[in-house]
Amino acid sequence: MDTSYPLHALVASAREGDQDAWNAIVERFLPLVCALVRRHRLSETDGDDVCQTVWLRLVEHLDALREPDALPGWISTTTRNECLRLLAARKRMTPVDPMDSSALGGVTEDVSGKDLVAIEERHALREALAELPAGRRELLVMLLTDPPIPYAEISERLGIPVGSIGPTRARALEQLRNTRALSAAIAAELETGGERR
Amino acid sequence: MTDWSDDDVLMAALAKAVAEGDTVSNRRREAARAAFSWRSVDAELMELLHDSALEAGAAVRGAADPGRLLAFGRGQVSVEIEVGAGAVSGQVLPAQDATVTLQGSGVEDRTVAPDGAGFFRIEEVGSGPVRFVVTTSEHTLATAWVTL
Repeated sequence: MDTSYPLHALVASAREGDQDAWNAIVERFLPLVCALVRRHRLSETDGDDVCQTVWLRLVEHLDALREPDALPGWISTTTRNECLRLLAARKRMTPVDPMDSSALGGVTEDVSGKDLVAIEERHALREALAELPAGRRELLVMLLTDPPIPYAEISERLGIPVGSIGPTRARALEQLRNTRALSAAIAAELETGGERR
Repeated sequence: MTDWSDDDVLMAALAKAVAEGDTVSNRRREAARAAFSWRSVDAELMELLHDSALEAGAAVRGAADPGRLLAFGRGQVSVEIEVGAGAVSGQVLPAQDATVTLQGSGVEDRTVAPDGAGFFRIEEVGSGPVRFVVTTSEHTLATAWVTL
């Protein structure tokens, strides 16, 4: 099992004790967890600890997870909560200046809504990329590489003519928009975007 | 709002997303993979019911601050934990014949027996994810993991 398997299959196998399925879940969601942790400005060590707590919690939560589609939301919420808990716990360990009203809040601020949308958007894009057939995914990743890989080299590596790289890129992006992950993200954004106006 | 229909906009967004995926440290990846070895199907989960760290005004308590208080429970059994400097003390309720084991990744299990009133204390506790496992003659109850 690897990251290309559907999430419900990975969750089902992980429940059966399949370490490879678990590793694939980690691979798919770890960047999301790390991005959320980074936003909360924890120390590197505390960030490591929160990250580990999230995965330990997911291990114990696997059996209760009835709907694997709820996993991204669960991971996002759990990570943010753990960050807030630890930030608050660290804060109360340090002496507080009573004149500093910024310390009076107790509960620390969460990531702003805009940041959260951007973080979840990037997660959806990685998920969408994972849904593409290997050939198209490789092409897009090569085209994204910085510094750019010359078309001649891409052509050689993927065995497609230089002239068809452009059209294939367009088709791959169209396919990307229609993936489960990205079409859901686009629909969600249209919904909230409409409300904001 | 992102204009997803524009190929170049989509490519730029994709570049950021992929770059973010590449920044994940191997240390965190390994730790996350290793978390799976903590899967215990036989222990029942005690949910985290209360964490004083999230109480409004928690930061302004004075010298009498009792430390962070955590409460876990399942059915009739609950465990209350007070996190002090380098130590935790707690109480299993109702008081019963049991042992309490502190578990954390990368540290040895520490098992203590609560006294007649259910009180226990574990010294030299570092920071990081931990859970408490309460074992009685009838069942094994594991608390949700928390970061100390």
